[in-house]
Amino acid sequence: MFEKLHKNAGLIFPALATIIALALSGTLNPYLAFVATSWVIFGLLGLSLDVIWGRGGLLSLAQTAFYGLGGYFGAVIAINLAPSSGMTLIWALPSAAVFGALIAVALGYVIFYSRMGELQSTILSYTFTLLLWSVTQTFKLDVGEARIGGDNGLSNIPGIILGFGSEAKKLGPNEAFATVVVVTAAVYFFTRWLMRSNFGKIVDCIRIDIEKTELLGYDIRKYQLLNFAYSGAVAGLSGALFALWANYLNPSIFSVQEALLVPIYVLVGGLGTLAGPFLGALIIGGLSFWLGGGAAGGQTTLILGTTLILLVMFLHNGFLGALDTLWKKFLADPNDAARSAGAVKIDTEVLDSILEEAAAQAGPAKNLSTDEAFKRFGGVIPVNKVSLDFASGRPYSLIGPNGAGKSSFLKTCVGIYRPEGGKILLDKDDITKTAIFERVHKGMGVKNQKPQVFGENTVMENLWIAAFARTRDTVQADKTATRILGMLGMEEQKSVQASALSHGQQQWLDIGMVLCLAPRVVLLDEPAAGMTNEETRELSLLVRTLAKHTTVVVVEHDMEFVRTLEGHVTVLHQGEFFAEGDIETLRANDAVLDIYLGRGEHV
Amino acid sequence: MELDFLATVLLSSLSSASILLIATLGLAVVYGLMGVINLAHGEFIMVGAYSALTATQIGLPFLLAIPFAVVTTMIIGAVVELLIIRKLYGRLFDTMLATWGLGMVFNQVAILLFGTVSPGIGMPQWSFKVGDYSLAVYPILMIFVAAVMLAFIYLLMTHTVYGMKARASIQQPQMAQAIGIDSSRVNTMTFAIGSGLAGLAGAILLPIIPATPSMGLFFAVKGFLTVVVAGPVTLTGSALAALGLGGGASVTASFMTSVVGDVFFFLVTAILLWLYPMGISAKWRRKL
Repeated sequence: MFEKLHKNAGLIFPALATIIALALSGTLNPYLAFVATSWVIFGLLGLSLDVIWGRGGLLSLAQTAFYGLGGYFGAVIAINLAPSSGMTLIWALPSAAVFGALIAVALGYVIFYSRMGELQSTILSYTFTLLLWSVTQTFKLDVGEARIGGDNGLSNIPGIILGFGSEAKKLGPNEAFATVVVVTAAVYFFTRWLMRSNFGKIVDCIRIDIEKTELLGYDIRKYQLLNFAYSGAVAGLSGALFALWANYLNPSIFSVQEALLVPIYVLVGGLGTLAGPFLGALIIGGLSFWLGGGAAGGQTTLILGTTLILLVMFLHNGFLGALDTLWKKFLADPNDAARSAGAVKIDTEVLDSILEEAAAQAGPAKNLSTDEAFKRFGGVIPVNKVSLDFASGRPYSLIGPNGAGKSSFLKTCVGIYRPEGGKILLDKDDITKTAIFERVHKGMGVKNQKPQVFGENTVMENLWIAAFARTRDTVQADKTATRILGMLGMEEQKSVQASALSHGQQQWLDIGMVLCLAPRVVLLDEPAAGMTNEETRELSLLVRTLAKHTTVVVVEHDMEFVRTLEGHVTVLHQGEFFAEGDIETLRANDAVLDIYLGRGEHV
Repeated sequence: MELDFLATVLLSSLSSASILLIATLGLAVVYGLMGVINLAHGEFIMVGAYSALTATQIGLPFLLAIPFAVVTTMIIGAVVELLIIRKLYGRLFDTMLATWGLGMVFNQVAILLFGTVSPGIGMPQWSFKVGDYSLAVYPILMIFVAAVMLAFIYLLMTHTVYGMKARASIQQPQMAQAIGIDSSRVNTMTFAIGSGLAGLAGAILLPIIPATPSMGLFFAVKGFLTVVVAGPVTLTGSALAALGLGGGASVTASFMTSVVGDVFFFLVTAILLWLYPMGISAKWRRKL
């Protein structure tokens, strides 16, 4: 009962709040109704930041820019159309949302498609807002009936009108409040649905581990941009509501004080909760209404600045976050199952059938080859003109002392490192300049040195998101993920958070995610690290079975493990090709022993 | 176009770039050595300007008012580090939000203490002529000041024990702790120096830019962009970015309006970040 309530809290409590607000709207003191309308609008603006920051992972300080621009645009449309059509909402809201989204796309395209650093993105978004602030002070333009008058602002914006025709009347404060609540609730529930859809799941994964998400084959830039566009649309829409509510706009909407409020709403309520910003806006708005001289008067800036500092330092998860932590203490811990995990047992028949099915869907194994691949970091050259060929049939191992360039070579093949020279080929396909996610589409599957799993998500969700990356079909992805889950022997742990798993189990989960991709070339970087002896034996069996169906390259330190693979071994040394052959020949090779033991002239 | 006009534009643009660099260096030092972006940096400049202004009003000569401003801001910086920044190590965006709030608090306190307008102090009236054009000496002097500040920070980082410790702490935090460097103390010092540099900027620029509570914003925006464009090699990177962005914007502004100059600044920043998503110095080998 309580578990269910907890799971659907984001649906039930906001629905209750909406009903209560609507029930009260008729009897509220008109002035309070008028002020409370602005709190709802600010909550909606906060929601737009929560979408891009709490879910998408980018702290955007440009939300008030989309809000203000959306407001101006929607207001200009409303001013021109309201006298004849009456109804203001159906004109102002969609146009403001579209305009906000377009601006967000323009800014987001620069941020995401150049793969800008996090800090760079945040600062760029902040300066965008401040630039608007300085430009709009002197920006004057007449559009039809609307006069945008620089720092004089834009006045004569019609209020919220629901009826049609030129006789339709502006709503009173109580009806306007109810209307804004209905619009806001609609946006909130749609946003909640969107964030729980497949799109939202991918956005969540990008926030948790952006590199892994791309290694699963998702075009992260596209999802980030779409998410940003949606957040811009919500901000623009709330801007139009604000314009209709206030009947007046001026450039102060782009000011620092205004921009400062948005993260405060989100932080007070709880980052990533979607409902939190509304609670935050209600608390901040309520406090300044009952304690101070309204939203603009008194020492609001002083109080808000201090509030922000205290929030960041002491209540980082906000009210809803703190409440959630408290509530969870009374619920059963789903991560308990992590401690009762059994041993992984690879059933080669099951694995064979999975791999045959994968081959049927994704085509035969592909050869991976490098031609004089060259990568340099300043004075260090971790990959120095390496030419190697890998095909299916038996596993390939890359060995070499620390710093030999094994992992760098793998990263160059995947595209995490861009080589300065040479070529990387997948069959006959030159993929040297191809983006990571496209290489994955072409059939590459990679497990990096550190196990990369989405720690906040459950084991099943981890496998599912990997399977969905290939199949793009919810039912198919369910099927694939369940099979792999069974093969890993993790059915008991399917609802455990991946972060609660041991290091060895995370390695298995990561390998399972790679298998979900049905890759035609598999690159594994130290898969045996953190595994027990039994697990290593199972892993060896898995790699050998895998190699019968696809091309497999393993970087490994564990010589015993490499021996059991019975495959081809290549020795790298100081970024260069050094020797190759089977493990017994190499063990008898003096030069190889020299570099491993650090003796002789090869060092 | 006459040669003397060109020379004037060049000199004044160089001077604008230097003013930008002076205002940015404190931010760059804190970011480079602590990995922290101090969004209250502009307000520290403002505090420096008001300190210097107050000092001259009680009768101190301007040359003594500058060190007074530096000491005041250094003390405030150290306190802020101890009370706030220290609690947020490793949380870049939280630090940004907290310092943002701090900036607002400083701003509001300044309005309460000094009002929104305050008397400027006169700029030394010396000037010189380039062809038909007359240039004020003081802004041109800023080119020299910026160079001296750069050299000072460079020496501080490379030739003092503090500098070595600070660079060790940012490059290998665990290793630095393991060999006995108290990185918290180093960080307090770094933040104080960064704030002091901001105070110095506010004081030394006071004759050119009068003290107002919101003056910080004017510097801060361009300062942030400069540091972000500079990337990991903060000192050299910032000097180059300030020269390119600040100088370029100033040249643009002198041919068109100052708003166009601002837009130029923003657009070039966006283009540079497009080409170098982690900053122009992301792939440089040097570390300062």
